[in-house]
Amino acid sequence: MSISTQITPETSSAVLTEVDYGSPIHDRITGWYIREARLLDHRLLDEWQTYLAEDLVYKAPVRLTRRVQGFDTEFGAIGHFDDDHASMTARVKRLTGTKSAWSEDPASRTRRFVTNISIWETDIPDEYKVSSYLLLTRNRADAKDYKQLSAERNDRLRWNGERFLLSRRTILLDQVVLGMPNLAIFL
Amino acid sequence: MRINRRSTFLSDPVSDLIDVENREVSVAALHDPDLYELEMERIFAKAWLLLGHESEIPNVGDYVVRLMGEDQVIVARAADGQVHVSLNVCPHRAMHICIADSGNARVHKCIYHGWAFRPDGSFIGAPIEKEKMHGEIKSKEQLGLKKARVTVYGGLVFATWNHDGPTLEDFLGDMKFYYDMLFCRTDGGLEILGPPQRLTIDANWKTAGEQSACDGFHTLTLHQSLLEGGAMAGEENTEHESAPAMYGVNVSGNGHSLRCIPADTSWAMMAGKTHAGMTDDERLELMPPPGITKDLLPQVRKNLSAEQLHVFAKAPPVVGGMFPNVNLLFIYSPLRDGTLGSAMVMHSINPKGPEKFEWVTYFFAEKDTPEEVKAMMRAAATQGTGTSGVIEQDDSDTWPHMSESARGVIGRTETLKYQAILGETRPDDWPDKAKVYSGFSKDDAQWNWWLAYRDLMLAEA
Repeated sequence: MSISTQITPETSSAVLTEVDYGSPIHDRITGWYIREARLLDHRLLDEWQTYLAEDLVYKAPVRLTRRVQGFDTEFGAIGHFDDDHASMTARVKRLTGTKSAWSEDPASRTRRFVTNISIWETDIPDEYKVSSYLLLTRNRADAKDYKQLSAERNDRLRWNGERFLLSRRTILLDQVVLGMPNLAIFL
Repeated sequence: MRINRRSTFLSDPVSDLIDVENREVSVAALHDPDLYELEMERIFAKAWLLLGHESEIPNVGDYVVRLMGEDQVIVARAADGQVHVSLNVCPHRAMHICIADSGNARVHKCIYHGWAFRPDGSFIGAPIEKEKMHGEIKSKEQLGLKKARVTVYGGLVFATWNHDGPTLEDFLGDMKFYYDMLFCRTDGGLEILGPPQRLTIDANWKTAGEQSACDGFHTLTLHQSLLEGGAMAGEENTEHESAPAMYGVNVSGNGHSLRCIPADTSWAMMAGKTHAGMTDDERLELMPPPGITKDLLPQVRKNLSAEQLHVFAKAPPVVGGMFPNVNLLFIYSPLRDGTLGSAMVMHSINPKGPEKFEWVTYFFAEKDTPEEVKAMMRAAATQGTGTSGVIEQDDSDTWPHMSESARGVIGRTETLKYQAILGETRPDDWPDKAKVYSGFSKDDAQWNWWLAYRDLMLAEA
């Protein structure tokens, strides 16, 4: 049984150059994340999908509880998501193009709070590694409480001349046992 | 304030809740805290429970922590090479021995006072041996971790606290004929594809439990989005008349059950062609059963009987469960590379109180499947089932509603009804194994699940 250690942004070079906070690139990418959260929270999923690259790899490995010496091996081979562009397209189509995607009908009310954005240059010009923290609240129907989820997301963003596209996302969840009954939403 | 009605159950157990004559179950059964406690004692402390797969713990000292009811157990491979299941409770002061959910340890040492145990549960000793901190009243042999009875079947690890009860083979009964077709068909056997997904659903465990017993009917409506997307061979507006995947053979015994979908239907759905007139061999060659690649077919032919191969050729088992708390899917599924493949998934439904359960999802492939195919099967399984699965996310949305209905004092006077009866109808060429219901998927097998539940609940009354 293989264990992946995707706890840090993966890199092909030994040392990554971090993009300064407050620089134009940092501002632009931070804006991208605010826009993404807004599209998802407002269920503008078709528009969100236009920000996904054709070679997208979208994963959320399951987490394990290890003794502290194994803290960097807490992520398993199986994911809560194990997706690519085609499967994400199918997921969006089910949610927006059918009349019976019951897990999100009535829809969840979600808020994605995205902070702690760190950005690194990569070996490829106009491609960046981005790490962000995500706090998501989810409320459905008349529930008085919220289902919550926190995670670190390790992404790869590519500038295509017009906009950044998401080409890789690894969602590192903080829960071993999820508190929400499904992930019919995107992280 | 809740009135403790446990004495009522003890004197007149569950008979108020299950109306055998009319095939109805009181909705109160999804809510009652006292009934829940009895279930823990009479079902989860008695029945054989699925705890995982031995491929999760290949080396001596490997362990995973799993649940039997609300009891944590350590599933470990000991120095004898065997899988042992021990209660994760220190006999000294009830501290958990394992505080991680998986790892490798030749010695499990309690972090509280240092009592130490081997992976087989036996007691090694307490610190400062000369002071005999375990006392002299009980011997070391008496101070091991409480051991469950274990049977590894097709690599799957089952355990029970009922040391004198039926063997796993007896527990499965005639249904073992069909489970062998899923778990014991290749030389290498099944392999687990990684540690399981785990999530919490705010519902009584029986909402998912009874559905696993061949509730084919719900797929038409609850999973209509799949019909709308073109799966299940139905038309969006006429699915109630034309969904051929609703017709098949449900097999059921001892509360366990499997739904067998005709290969004709699957082949027509996948290839748009008919199977008619082909021999069993030709059919298997054209479309091997879910989970089997063509190069594994010779092994399947070698390991299974002609009767089992005939069932595979005619209508392979694709979904179902094992009483009391296992749900499984061995289904055809398109793979990432555009070919027709499969997803093999097992769930355990672990109770966490009357209105909560943990839904655990294991993904499998045959061990001898090429690694790149395994990766595609894992992706297909993840996209269809479990946490984000487009099939099962609708199920997890439904079950909490049922539990909430049971919270209402009037709601819980309603009943769950199992009155759509097909009756036993065994096709002439179908093996005489377990109860066989051939036709539209009706309530027969689900009702048998409740009868098995009732039997266990009454067993010690």
